[in-house]
Amino acid sequence: MLEIDHLVTGYGGVPVLHDVSLTLSAGEIVGLLGANNAGKTTLINSLSGMYAPMSGRIRFEGQDVTAMTPKQRVEIGIIQVPEGRLVFPEMSVRENLLLGGINARARAHRPRQMDHVLELFPRLKERLGQNAGTLSGGEQQMLAIGRGLMAEAKLLMLDEPSLGLSPLFVQYIFGIIDRLHAEGLSILLIEQNLNLTLRHAQRCYVLERGKVAVEGTSDVVKDDPRTRRAYLGL
Amino acid sequence: MAEFLQALAQGLLIGSTYGLLALGMGLVYGVSGVVNFSHGDFISLGMFMCLALYSAFAMDPYVSLIITVPVMTVIGGLVYWYLLRPMVGHQFLMVVQLTLGLSLVLQNGILMVFGGQPARTPSVVESKLLILGDVVVRVPHVIAFVVSFAMAIGLYIMLRSTDFGRSIRAVHQNAHSAALMGIDVSRVQTLTFALGIGILAIAAALLLPGTPIQPAQGLRYTVITLIVVALGGMTNFVGIMLGGLIIGLSEAYGTIYLSDTLGMLLPYGIFVLIMLFRPQGLTWSSSR
Repeated sequence: MLEIDHLVTGYGGVPVLHDVSLTLSAGEIVGLLGANNAGKTTLINSLSGMYAPMSGRIRFEGQDVTAMTPKQRVEIGIIQVPEGRLVFPEMSVRENLLLGGINARARAHRPRQMDHVLELFPRLKERLGQNAGTLSGGEQQMLAIGRGLMAEAKLLMLDEPSLGLSPLFVQYIFGIIDRLHAEGLSILLIEQNLNLTLRHAQRCYVLERGKVAVEGTSDVVKDDPRTRRAYLGL
Repeated sequence: MAEFLQALAQGLLIGSTYGLLALGMGLVYGVSGVVNFSHGDFISLGMFMCLALYSAFAMDPYVSLIITVPVMTVIGGLVYWYLLRPMVGHQFLMVVQLTLGLSLVLQNGILMVFGGQPARTPSVVESKLLILGDVVVRVPHVIAFVVSFAMAIGLYIMLRSTDFGRSIRAVHQNAHSAALMGIDVSRVQTLTFALGIGILAIAAALLLPGTPIQPAQGLRYTVITLIVVALGGMTNFVGIMLGGLIIGLSEAYGTIYLSDTLGMLLPYGIFVLIMLFRPQGLTWSSSR
C-alpha cells in the first residue's frame, strides 16, 4: 500500500533522513521506532507532504505521490495524527471533528463518520460542545484520533499517541488502535515506547540518526541487539 | 445634555464603521500574521473608485458597491497571492515594509489620476437628517451603523458555522494542524485578505457621503484601524467592535467639548492610556 523508496529529506539543504526505504501493506500496523531526533517525525511529515524530498520516491496504492501537496495527500487518505495532538483549542470538540472531515473526499460523509467516531469514543460524545483546549491530555488524544478518522483515513499515521498520557489512557488508546486494526485500517505507529510498540505492531523499523538501523517482524526487531543500541543512542 | 446625546449618537454611529474597518485587519492578522499598513490606502482606493463611478455615470456611492466590492476583492486576492504570500512566515519586518511601500504606491497612484485637491462624492441621502427629540443624526451615519453591525454579525456567523469560517479559525489557531486536515493554508490566507479588502470597499462607501476625500488621507485611516485592532485585542471580534465604538465616541466628544484639532487628538490620547493600563486589550479573556 505504501512504499518509500530511498527517501532523502532535510531542511535548508541539510539532509535529516538518509536513504530511508519502508513498506507497509494494507491492513498492517507498522511501528516506527527510534530515539529523539532519529527522524521519525520528519519521516511522517514527509509522508504528509510538508517538505519536498531531496531525492527518492513515495508511492501510495500504486500512485506516485512524491510531488503531491499536503491537501492532495489528505484527499487520497494519507492522514497524520500529529505529535502533541494539536487539536484546535478554541473550537468545540464537534467543530474539531467537522474540520477533520473537511477534505473533498470525506466532506459528504461527515454525519456517518461522526457517529462512528462517537461510538468509538463515548467520552467525546459527552464533551461535544466543550472547547478542545479544556479537555484532558487523554481526551485530546481521543479527539486527535477521531479527527483523523473523520478524514476517512486509509493510512493512519499516529505520532507518539502515548506521549504524556497516564498508563490507563495509554492502555485505552492502544486498545483503540487494535480495534481500528481489526476493522482493516492500515496504521503507521510512531512511538518512543519500545515494548508497547513491539507488542502491537506486526513489523517495525528502527531509525537511527536518519537511517533505518533495523527492520523486520516485531520478534526479529525485539531480539536484535542494534535495536536497544539505537534506542539508547550508544 | 442635548450636546452630550448628540455626540453619543454620532460617536456610536461612526465608531461602528471603524469597528468594521478593524475587523478586516484583525481577520488578516489572525490567519497570516500580516499587519497591513496600506489598509487605509485601500479605503482611499475604494472611495476614489466611487468618485470615478460618480463622475463617469453619476452613480451613487451605495450603488457603486456592486462594482467596487468585486473589484477590490479581486485586487486584494492578487496582492496577497503575488506580493505578500512569498514573504509571509519569513520576515515580519519585510512584510511591514512591503505594505508601507504599497501604501505609497496607492497614494501616489491616486494622486496621479485624481489630482491633489479635496473632492466630494455626493449621495442622494447625503443631506437627509433623522430627528429624534434633541438629537439630529445624518441618515448616512445611520446607514453606516446598520450595515456595519449587520456585516459584523454576518462575519461572526460565517466564522462560526461554515466550513470556510472554520478553516479561517483553524489556520488562526494552528496553521500546521490545519494543513494536516487538508486545508490549503495559502488559499485560506489569500481569500481572507481578499475578504478584508472587499469589506474595505463597503466601509469606504459607508464613510463617503459628506466626507471630503484626498489622496493622502490613507494613513489616518490606517492609524485609526491599528488603534482599534490593538484596543480590541487583535483577533477578538467583540473587542474590536467595542474598540471601534470607543474611538468613534472619543472623536465625537473631543470635537464637541474640546477644539476641532484637539478633538482629533483625543482618541490617540485615550488609546495610549488604555494601553498603559490594559496592554492586553480591552476584553477580559486572557486567551490570545
